[in-house]
Amino acid sequence: MSKSRRYPWQSPGVVPGLLSLLAMLLLWIAVAWLSDNPRMMPPPFEVAAHIRQIIVSGELWHHAGMTLFRVLASFILAMLVGLVLGLWMGRSRGADHWLNPGLVIALNVPALVVIVLAYIWIGLNEMAAITAVALNKIPVVTVMIREGTRALRPDLDDMARAFRMSPLDRLRHVVLPQLAPHIAAAARAGISLIWKIVLVVEFLGRSNGVGFKIHLLFSSFNVAGVLAWALAFVAVMLAIDLFVLRPWEARANRWRRDED
Amino acid sequence: MRIELNEKVFGGRVILGPLALEVERGQRVALLGPSGIGKSTLLRIIAGLDRDFDGRLSGDDRLAVVFQEPVLLPWRKALDNITIPTGCDTATARDLMAQVGLSGHEGQFPRQMSLGQQRRLALARAFAVRPDILLMDEPFASLDAETAARMIGLTLELLERSGAGLIHVTHDTGEPARLAARPLRLGGSPAVLLG
Repeated sequence: MSKSRRYPWQSPGVVPGLLSLLAMLLLWIAVAWLSDNPRMMPPPFEVAAHIRQIIVSGELWHHAGMTLFRVLASFILAMLVGLVLGLWMGRSRGADHWLNPGLVIALNVPALVVIVLAYIWIGLNEMAAITAVALNKIPVVTVMIREGTRALRPDLDDMARAFRMSPLDRLRHVVLPQLAPHIAAAARAGISLIWKIVLVVEFLGRSNGVGFKIHLLFSSFNVAGVLAWALAFVAVMLAIDLFVLRPWEARANRWRRDED
Repeated sequence: MRIELNEKVFGGRVILGPLALEVERGQRVALLGPSGIGKSTLLRIIAGLDRDFDGRLSGDDRLAVVFQEPVLLPWRKALDNITIPTGCDTATARDLMAQVGLSGHEGQFPRQMSLGQQRRLALARAFAVRPDILLMDEPFASLDAETAARMIGLTLELLERSGAGLIHVTHDTGEPARLAARPLRLGGSPAVLLG
């Protein structure tokens, strides 16, 4: 269980991981060279130059910032609603029986349909964009939290009742810590799903954000530009995963370790 | 604390009652009987954890439960495992931890402690609510003789010091005498108190 302190490059898998990235880069160079059509298949250094340009001009930060704002807003909305629904459905058999059919349908409605309908019914605005993304994510969070809630320990429930803990204390100290692994899993799975849907939402009906930029570059058939924006934003999302979500998850799981 | 039970049905079968039991602060009672007779069910009814019964539970005594397992919050440190469920202040919690021989363990998570230490922590937690009556559900059942003797000694000390009463569920006929508790036998079908 316990891990001795190591440098990141000493962890197993780092060397193969880096080599695999390098292999993909070489493959890309080879394909670009063979296709001999820089417009359709630009080589990596051309895309890198483009990334440099959008970083230096500040364009990346503006549009990535807007996209991140939408990701964050819909993420928080989806997590909160999904947590409440999942807890309710996990705790109450009646609620589960009534809400489950709707949940199954919601899980299977294509993201695109939700986005289009949200834009039509709510309007081409920020509210519609964030709602559409959240609606796509809520059913997934609900299912994951419901499973976690069903696995809550009955003995701790008894203990909380025997000591007459307040509902808020119970939620904070008994229920949420047990759900933490499920919440973390839902958050990790959620953030990667959400940012992909946010790009579609922006593509279809926003005038800023990474999705909007990709829309513009797509119209002018600028493949290097599309790749530059995509790769730059992937890097931003990976950084968030690495420096925000993972440390948070590690902190939430501190009590599982044997020694401190 | 007084319980007047007409009957308790479980799975379509009457398993308990009719019976009446009254315990006051300072009195010690042991509920004896074979496994599965309904001792723990009766204790759960008294503790307010099982409200699905026909009868009347009365009295405004402060009750505290020591479960068969320690039932601690694994994600909270030892000291917080006393203060959070009971709402007592840190000084009281530290003092109780000292009384059960856990000084210095305040900052540890439960899984960093031995099972014996976890049980002593659960005992300290129960006394943190300053109970009028302590409810214990076979708390020494799965312990080796030495640890059980130590736990019984600690429980006695804390009972003496606090003046709390005790309802102790066990199938070990030797335990009531060691806790100076009046033995009450539960038997028959449905089970009633045989005195």
